[in-house]
Order: sequence, then C-alpha cells, then structure tokens
Amino acid sequence: MSIVSAKMLTKVYAGKIRAVDNLDLEIEAGQIFGFLGPNGAGKTTTLRMLATLIPIDSGEATVAGQDVRRQPAKVRRHIGYVGQFGGADPLATGREDLILQGRLNGMSASDVKKRTEELIDVLDLREFANRKGSTYSGGQRRRLEVALGIMHRPEVLFLDEPTTGLDPQNRANLWVQIRKLRDTGTTIFLTTHYLEEADALSDELAIMDHGKIVAQGTSRELKQQIAGDSVLFSFKNNGEILDKAIQLFKQQPYVREITKEGEQVRLYVKDGAIALPELLRLLDKENIAVKTMALSEPTLDDVFLRKTGRSLRDTGANSKGNGESK
Amino acid sequence: MKPLRDISLLFKREFIHALRNPTWLVVGLTTPLLYLALYTPLLQKLAGGPGFPTSNVLDVFLPGMLAYLAFMNGTGEGYATIFNLKDGQIERFRVTPASRVALLVSPILADIVWMFIFIIILIAVAVPFGFHAHIAGLLVSLILLALLVMVMGAFSVAIALINREISSFAAIVSGVSLPVMLLSGVLLPLSMAPSWMRVVAHLNPLYYVVEANRVLAAGNITNSTVGLAFLVTVGLTIVTFWWATRIYRKAVA
Repeated sequence: MSIVSAKMLTKVYAGKIRAVDNLDLEIEAGQIFGFLGPNGAGKTTTLRMLATLIPIDSGEATVAGQDVRRQPAKVRRHIGYVGQFGGADPLATGREDLILQGRLNGMSASDVKKRTEELIDVLDLREFANRKGSTYSGGQRRRLEVALGIMHRPEVLFLDEPTTGLDPQNRANLWVQIRKLRDTGTTIFLTTHYLEEADALSDELAIMDHGKIVAQGTSRELKQQIAGDSVLFSFKNNGEILDKAIQLFKQQPYVREITKEGEQVRLYVKDGAIALPELLRLLDKENIAVKTMALSEPTLDDVFLRKTGRSLRDTGANSKGNGESK
Repeated sequence: MKPLRDISLLFKREFIHALRNPTWLVVGLTTPLLYLALYTPLLQKLAGGPGFPTSNVLDVFLPGMLAYLAFMNGTGEGYATIFNLKDGQIERFRVTPASRVALLVSPILADIVWMFIFIIILIAVAVPFGFHAHIAGLLVSLILLALLVMVMGAFSVAIALINREISSFAAIVSGVSLPVMLLSGVLLPLSMAPSWMRVVAHLNPLYYVVEANRVLAAGNITNSTVGLAFLVTVGLTIVTFWWATRIYRKAVA
C-alpha cells in the first residue's frame, strides 16, 4: 500500500508552462524517497501540491490514505513539511516555536511538553533552544525546522532541499537525523539537486526533468541501467578533431553511447578497463592527440545525462551538450 | 472551538513579537505623540473658531489623530506578511491544520490590542492638556477604530500577498496613505475645505471614521455620523476580508 500516490498529477503555470506534467508516483511507506533534478524541474511544485500548499490543476493524489484535492484538511493531520525557507520564527525561541507548532497541530499541552523535550534531545537543540531564532546558525536553524516538521509525529515528512546552504559537516549531520527518522517509521519525501545527497540518502529515488519523471528506482538499479563505465575525452586542436573522433568511436561495437558535452565527448562502455587501452590505440593510429581523459563508474549524473541529454552538474536549465545516441 | 483556540495561540505569539521588536512599538507611539506635541500648538489660535468649536483644539484633533493611528496600524500589517512569506513561516503554518481564518486574523487582532494600549497612553497624556474625555463615547470609538484596523489590515495583507516585495509594497502603501490622510480631515477639519474636497472626501473611508470619532469624543453616541461610519467600516470589513481570504488561498503559492 503506497503512502503517497499520484496519478496524472499536473500543474500548469501562466496557462502554458507545464511545471508538473502528468506525473505518476507510488511511494511505499517507511522509506526515504528522493526527488532529484535540476532547478525548475518541478520537484518543489510536486511537493507543494502533495503538501496541500498549492492547488492541483488536474490528476489525483492521495497522501496517508487521504485525498489531497478533496480533503486537504485531513491530509494536513498526517504530514509534516519543511520548506526551502524553513519557517523558523526569528523572534521566538526554539522551544516556544516547537510548543506553538504542537498546539496548532492539536496536541495536548502535556504531550507538547513531552515531545518538545524529546525533539530537543533527538535533534540536539538543547544548547540553543532558549535563544531567539534570529541568533541561530544555518545548521541550527535547519535542525529546528526539521523538529518543527515532525513535532506532531507525522506519517509523511516532506523536505524541500533540506541541506541547501549547509556546510558539509552540518549536511552529514542532518543526513544522520533523517535516516533516524526513517528508522522510526516516518516516510520521508525529499527533493534535492545534490547528486551525492540523492545517492547517499534515498532508499528509492526519482529523477525529474521538465515536469516529468525520467527515471525511477533505487540508486543501484538506476546506475545498472547505464551498464558500464563512462569515459570522458577532450582533444588537442579541437573542432574537427572532435567530430573525427566521434565518427571513429561510433564504429566501435563496445561503445554503447556517445554524448558530446561542449568540447568534450563522453562514451559509455561496457567495461572501462578493457575499452580504454583499445580506444587509446585507435586514437593514436589516427594521430588524434588526447588532451584529457577520465574513466568513471556510472553516477546518477550519468543516469540523468543519458535520460535527458544534459548533465545535472551544468546547473539548471542550460542545455549544453547535444545528446547523441548511438 | 478550534478556530478560537488557534486564534488565541497565534494572537499570543503576535502580541509577544511586538515586545521583542520594540522599534515598531516605539515608532508607533512616538508618531502620534509628535503630532500632539509639535502640531497642535499650531492650531491653538483656531480654538473656538471654524472647525474647532470647543476651547481646546485637542477635542477635535486627538480623535482625528486616533483614527489616523488606526489607519496606519492596519496598513502596516502587510510588512509582516512579506517577511513571513520570505522566511517560510506562512507556508509552515499553512501546512498545519490551523484554521485559515485564524492565520489571517490573529496578527490583526494583536495589532488592535496594541493600538488600544497606545490610545490609552495618548489620552492619558492629552487629558492634563485639557482634552475632555467621554468614557462612553471613547468605548464606542474603540470598536469603530478596531474595525478600521481590520479593513486596512486585510487590504494591506492582500496587497502584500500580491506584491511580495517590500519595495513595491512600501511604494503602494505610502502612495495610498498620503492622499487618504490629506482627504480625511485629520490635520484640519474638512468643514474648512472647499466643497469639491468635501465631495471627494466621501470616497475616503478614513474620512467617515475621523468625523464619527470627533462626534464620539464629544460624547455623542447616537449621532447619525457615527451610524454611517459603522455602516461603512462594517461593509468594508466584509469586502476586504472576503478579498484577502481569496488572495490568501490563491496567491500564497
């Protein structure tokens, strides 16, 4: 039984921009589900529709068994949400903020008190819980915001770009907290544009681009689709040489896919260790001088690249590198 | 009742916030005090003449000033809305099951209570200078002023939600406030104005409240001016709240 489910979910802005386009989604309870994609892919819009924050234009969605379109008030009882901008109150202390959050969620005063202390321990807020929010560091504020999101013990927690702006140490720290939450039975639905985060944190993940899910599965499953390694070349005396090299690569049976990325070319090969010497021999024979070369195991970026023709690392919506499939 | 409980929770938060950010309180109180200290002396020679029938100009000026205070209190509401949009607090509360009406009305109610406190201080300051306070009239006037804060508060929140940027919001608010103030008779009663100004003033909600407040300050509760002001403000409260709620549901995306 899926705890979050969407069918043909669609959001259209300004009458024509399909921010989320006929999205289908089934998320099993008790896991961390990651939504990976560049800025503007529609991740946040999807999350906000599911969290009852913006109306669904067409399609259906249920969260924790409740219909998002028809029963948003019921959905709200089962979800927690931590937005990109957090929502910690700069003028209230962390403790006051937690108490208010619990009370607004209909918890009893005694339960609120108990839960507040519990969260102060779990998320390590004790040191600053009695200080005003405006005095917090980025990491401290984010921890409080996650605590606010789970104050009422929601079944589903939505986290929108939870670690954006955090330093590596705080990021790793938050990952630990998020996994702990999952281990206590909370389903976590998070968006991220960090490959490492999606890879390290998600039990299952979906890669999103232009309002659609382009790939979905566990990180391992997705990488297996690439089935092989990637080799990145650049050449001296660029220009025609690059095209010549591409023509050459195309003729090799072990090269599965070729993608031009600006002045570089990426090949997907079954086994890099075997293919690489072969390729070098070939280039040498044709007098093509290699400038740089890199061999790597597939990453989620390769999955993204393969599905969209663009690299996730080329931040955002630019579309360098014309996908060229063999 | 869930909405009432939510209102009391959020009201408490908003009320305390004002204390933690006392700059707003200080400015909110010193502005009318400065008018009393530095503007009423200019009116002294008009006492007993046109527009100022009693021996003390404060009897006319202070009630008008209180209406202006309510107007400014309400229009300032949108600033907090924009800050809370930016730091994610509005979103955070909207995901909770908290009553939507409570989310909208609680900050305005907190503002009204702060305004009541200011009014009591201003009257306490004005009485030794010869202001004649009529308790019954004053109590009715507080209700009228609270309604004006509601009208302007809902209006201001709606404008803030549409604009979302402090700079353009501030431009609109100050652009609207100046003509509204000049055409309300706060500084000098419009009975002294040429007839075209008096006609235009009737399009200005603040004008009705200023006029009614002066009548009320004279202890005249059953006057038709008072009835008219209530009619206008109650009507506008309904319209602006309907509008602001709509924008709130739609625009907070």
